[in-house]
Amino acid sequence: MILVVAEQQAGNLRKSSYELLSAAQNLSQNLSLPVAALVIGGASSEQAAKTLSQHVVTVYHVTSTDLENFRSDSHTSIVSQIAKDKGASIILLSASRAGLAYAPRVAMRLDAPLLEDVTGLNVQDGKISATRLSYLSRVTETVEALSLPVVISVKPNIFPVFEGQVAGTVENVEVALSNTDLRVKVGQKSSAATGRVALEEASIVVTGGRGVGSAEGFAKLVEPLADSLNAGVGATRAVVDAGWRPYAEQVGQTGKSVAPNLYVALAVSGAVQHLSGMNRSKHIVAINKDADAPIFKVCDYGIVGDVNEVVPALRSALAALD
Amino acid sequence: MIDFSLSDEQRQFQALARDFAKDVIMPVASKHDQEESFPHEVIAKAHELGLLNVIIPEKAGGLGLGMLDEVIIGEELAYGCMGIYSILMASELGITPILVGGSEEQQKRFLAPLLEKPSLAAFALSEPDNGSDAAAMKTRASFEGDEIILNGNKMWITNGGLAEVTVVFASTDPSLKHKGTVAVVVPKDTPGFSYQKIHHKMGQRAAHTAELIFDNVRVPKSNMLGGLGDGFKIAMKTLDKTRIPVAAGSVGLARRALDEAKNYAAERKAFGKSINSFQALQFKMADMKIGIETARLQTLYAAWLVDTGQAHSEASSIAKCYASDMAFDAANETIQIHGGYGYVGEYPVEKLLRDIKLNQIYEGTNEIQRVVIAKHVIDS
Amino acid sequence: MKIACIIKQVPDAEARIKAAGGAVDLEGVTFVIDGMDEYGVEQALRLREGGLDAEIFVLALGPKRFEEAIRTALAMGADRAIHLEGDMALDPISQAKILAQVIQKEGAELVFVGGKEADWDSAALGAALAEALGWAFSDWTTEMGVEGSSLTLTHDTDDGSETLSFNLPAVISTQQGLNEPRYPTLPNIMKAKRKPVDKVNLSELASAGKTQVLKQEIQSKERRHTILTGDAQEAASKLVQLLRQEAKVI
Repeated sequence: MILVVAEQQAGNLRKSSYELLSAAQNLSQNLSLPVAALVIGGASSEQAAKTLSQHVVTVYHVTSTDLENFRSDSHTSIVSQIAKDKGASIILLSASRAGLAYAPRVAMRLDAPLLEDVTGLNVQDGKISATRLSYLSRVTETVEALSLPVVISVKPNIFPVFEGQVAGTVENVEVALSNTDLRVKVGQKSSAATGRVALEEASIVVTGGRGVGSAEGFAKLVEPLADSLNAGVGATRAVVDAGWRPYAEQVGQTGKSVAPNLYVALAVSGAVQHLSGMNRSKHIVAINKDADAPIFKVCDYGIVGDVNEVVPALRSALAALD
Repeated sequence: MIDFSLSDEQRQFQALARDFAKDVIMPVASKHDQEESFPHEVIAKAHELGLLNVIIPEKAGGLGLGMLDEVIIGEELAYGCMGIYSILMASELGITPILVGGSEEQQKRFLAPLLEKPSLAAFALSEPDNGSDAAAMKTRASFEGDEIILNGNKMWITNGGLAEVTVVFASTDPSLKHKGTVAVVVPKDTPGFSYQKIHHKMGQRAAHTAELIFDNVRVPKSNMLGGLGDGFKIAMKTLDKTRIPVAAGSVGLARRALDEAKNYAAERKAFGKSINSFQALQFKMADMKIGIETARLQTLYAAWLVDTGQAHSEASSIAKCYASDMAFDAANETIQIHGGYGYVGEYPVEKLLRDIKLNQIYEGTNEIQRVVIAKHVIDS
Repeated sequence: MKIACIIKQVPDAEARIKAAGGAVDLEGVTFVIDGMDEYGVEQALRLREGGLDAEIFVLALGPKRFEEAIRTALAMGADRAIHLEGDMALDPISQAKILAQVIQKEGAELVFVGGKEADWDSAALGAALAEALGWAFSDWTTEMGVEGSSLTLTHDTDDGSETLSFNLPAVISTQQGLNEPRYPTLPNIMKAKRKPVDKVNLSELASAGKTQVLKQEIQSKERRHTILTGDAQEAASKLVQLLRQEAKVI
């Protein structure tokens, strides 16, 4: 069985869950294995489980008030337990921050190989291998799992959104949580939510670099453009280091890794560390007044110019479209 | 046996100096050049990291680094800014006569306090009316009881007036020539000792250069290094050593020139292709590379001679002369490769040429180096 | 208390990475201690400077060249090092099992791991290590404090950040922002030479890995490289047109 661990928030399935279903679908056809999904969460997760059952025949649902907060301890226990009890040979989960935190632990607990942050999956002679990026995303490598079961974390925004429909059922499963599973006390959350679409889920991302000039520059240029494109807002390391934007918006090696349909880089020079977080984007637009900026080497469309002039022009051109 | 490998420690020194140049020196180099201001913050950080006054011996509480260590570090610092490197280099220059001619007691007395806070030393030999002809110095020293009294002016003194200790060379009697010279350590706030900053230098404008004025400056006799008549010898022995860090700085600057040329030539397009595809420019860069590699070898060789206690006067003159001439050419050709952009301040290359010019002049002009080398050729 | 800092040596971010014959070729590449690991070493030192009575050791699993990263960490201020030396490329899960044994034997209670490795682009080691040890774990940690045996931390999440609290023993993976690592000073570089480095032959500890890298190649994606010219208005109009009609993304 292929077990897809869905991610949900406040009852809504994250987009990555549908991408996992696509990945699972391919493996399922190749290996003739059925697909089941798992939803974990507090009270509101029931809605997510229901939604998921419209796409997967079997949805396991583990819910408890203790699961309102994500903890890698409890997720590790639940996913490992279900995988064992239901006989999963492939466990697919999202390479979100949460996924990256518990996937290795599930692999360790099941004594299974881990394929981490994968961008593609292949099956040959019953063996599962994956492509993933390494060396600050400058290298693509193919890694084979040497045994089953295997735990696979899948990079968001790479696989297509699954659109298949079925009439599935939700099966509530009890998993006893130990004190250890709940030893981490989760305190205050500070959300980077700005009413905009989350960076990793955004199909368009607008990122500002140091050349935007200031926090005010973001408010004046980056945010309005992001809003007119219904895009997520990203920032470079220099920008978050300067305190203009929160770390949560950072795209790059130590920040988020994104692969949207369209990535718009405003006054971003294009350091290796930044490129590693966005060079899988399907289309890249670069606007920078420095014609020699490395970002132009990876762009599809480039404008050599001052963002202060080009961005307002771009917004009026976009407004004229509709 | 010939071994070109650096020790693990030396590789770490090099990495630290490289990071320091990149993170601390380069971001402020242009500002201090333009404003002709002293980079106090860089010197403070250098002190914090132990990059300042590295040759102070362990007996005086210092690191006691050797000449090889010093040149490995120096090349990296000068890559960031030759002018800022000159401040650190001139401090080692000011310390060297105390090592060459001072007793252990004097080394402890004058050098240990330099380690406590960001402090500099200075070396005062040149005068308004004479530079290379050091024996003709006009600054007078006279003895009175337990004191030495200094009168006269010193010129082009790097760190002059800012330094906690200045080694001043003076003559007790010009008719005695070398035999009348003394080397005297003058603390910063000694009455009668003042300085005048020299403005409008062509390059190395972050470094502080001053004229020093000695008006009946009294210091204890115990501040004299060696004895009467040792001054000239101490000065020459010092310069035989300290020319090598000048060579190292020149190599660092030339390396910067080549990197700037390489980067620009890769980006700049002409006639539909990158200008680095043109052989005329490739040859310029190849020549720079030849110069850098050979100058570095000679610099390391001269430093090795110092560290192994062998004669090094000729080797250090060759290193200083060759490396600074080579680096001047490299800076010049980098401007040529940059075309019009090389002639304006927006790119760092015009500064390289302004800075390197001084390396052909100070610590013995390249003409004097050739005199030294020729003398070795003829006498050997 | 004993604190372990796991360190790796990785190619400098500016280094040009090549691949030949289906494998990454690191010949001629400059290596540095992984910046994410430096945050861990720095944090351990700061805890000690803040009054925590601690012995800090670095633990490295990798080839001989890792010695340089070890020396950097010792020069920053760590007390000693253990180098599990070997050339085999082990996956993070297998590595964690070996490292956990050493950490347990040494009696450490707090472990720092770099949040993401700059060579394998992997964030797995910290989590795997926490699991192997059975200890609490905080990933992408940007702030931490220790009070007796209890830790309070702030870490990055998918939606922003949150605070966590739990008791030692624990594994902490680092994130940019945790601190500003110090330079190893010249005097400390010299002192580090005398600090002990225990060498352990990795092949005596390691068993077969769980995954195998079949192929590595330089990542490349065809890009259009269309540079739009004209004044801002003109270029912007062209861009919007191309995004709609050619790229079909808006």
